Amino acid sequence: MDNSFKISVSNINNSDYIELHSNIDASAEKQLQKLPYMVKNKVVRFDFSKAGRINSMGIALLLRCFRQIREEKDAEIFLKDLNTTNAMLFKMTGVFLLASHEK
Amino acid sequence: MISAVYPQTILALFSDSSDEAAFAPLMEGFSGVISIKNPAEQKLFVTEITSLCIEPLLVIISSRLYPEARPETVSAVRNIFPQAEILLVTLDSDPVPPLEQLAVDRVRHLLVSPADENREGISSLQEAIIKLLMKSPWKLLDCVKPGTRVHEIRLNSSEEKETLILMLENVITGDSPEMEFLRQRAALLADEMVENALYGAPRDAEGRKLYSKGQFRVMKENEIIHFRFAFDGETLAMEITDGWGTLVPEMVIDYLARNQDHMAGESGDTGGRGLFIIWKFLDHLHVNIRPGMQTVLGGQIKADVSLDCEAPKGFTISTNYL
Repeated sequence: MDNSFKISVSNINNSDYIELHSNIDASAEKQLQKLPYMVKNKVVRFDFSKAGRINSMGIALLLRCFRQIREEKDAEIFLKDLNTTNAMLFKMTGVFLLASHEK
Repeated sequence: MISAVYPQTILALFSDSSDEAAFAPLMEGFSGVISIKNPAEQKLFVTEITSLCIEPLLVIISSRLYPEARPETVSAVRNIFPQAEILLVTLDSDPVPPLEQLAVDRVRHLLVSPADENREGISSLQEAIIKLLMKSPWKLLDCVKPGTRVHEIRLNSSEEKETLILMLENVITGDSPEMEFLRQRAALLADEMVENALYGAPRDAEGRKLYSKGQFRVMKENEIIHFRFAFDGETLAMEITDGWGTLVPEMVIDYLARNQDHMAGESGDTGGRGLFIIWKFLDHLHVNIRPGMQTVLGGQIKADVSLDCEAPKGFTISTNYL
């Protein structure tokens, strides 16, 4: 089974729909750096249903990515299908200050 | 029973009678406890302590007294009793004291729940007192039922992190929401502990990090990273040992304080966010440092779906120069 980090981007109802696959850690750096340049709409939805563990490096990369999307693309960010641990992690590390949790 | 084994003098400083009464049942059994309540004047406070003519091994300070009401308490106590251990205690219903002041004063902090008793009916405060009197660091096996198997893995390369996490996940069996949540937290904690030992601990003589996060690395011949864990069906205890001993107590508390205020920025390497995550997810963080020789970092978590990540957390950081 391929456990490497992957991103798939699609356009749904005038919003960018981004699925994150597998663990998010230092190995996700290059792809998350490119991601803000792929945003085309003013609403961006991140789907974490296929994401695995997110460690502190993954949090740092997501914070940087979300900030760039907000500042450079002036887009609103929504996060969906977070597991319990990742939702707690986002709350305690300030991720929800940049992106809304869509339950 | 406890007093027969630990007859040493303990000085306890409270803000008032109700504060003293709140802690009384949690400290039951220690015969040599002398309590002082906050007098109106600072001068009287110091006079009262010195007039006792005692040499306590341990001074317990309530967070209703320090740092808000009496910020000078710890430095005053250190001047009077330079050999004594100091323990700041906070009831879990009280606000958490500001970590910055704790960092400046290098004080241990224990969060106490009145309902928090172990299998022998000993409160977490009684247990902490005993350990401080015995000068005994936290032990993994103290947290789990007797006879629980301890798994120990010596890491040889960074690639073994995922194998280690899989081993840990496999030990936590069951499909209930409690067990699934425990598996998720255990995996995250192990990830952060191993990353800290692999990339945070190795430093040169000037304190600069030797490796970047995510970089593949093989342990040097004399480099030791041991990960140990034990799960008794309810409680998971975990600890990691590295042979660097580069963690500094002030640094730990500074990391926790900065991340608590979301001030760590976006750098995964320098912000101490990993340590902050470990602290927030563990029931209590224990760090024992032998400078230049070894750091042991550990704690325990319970299978419980009602965990509140906003709930205050305690920590114990001890430095051993032997």
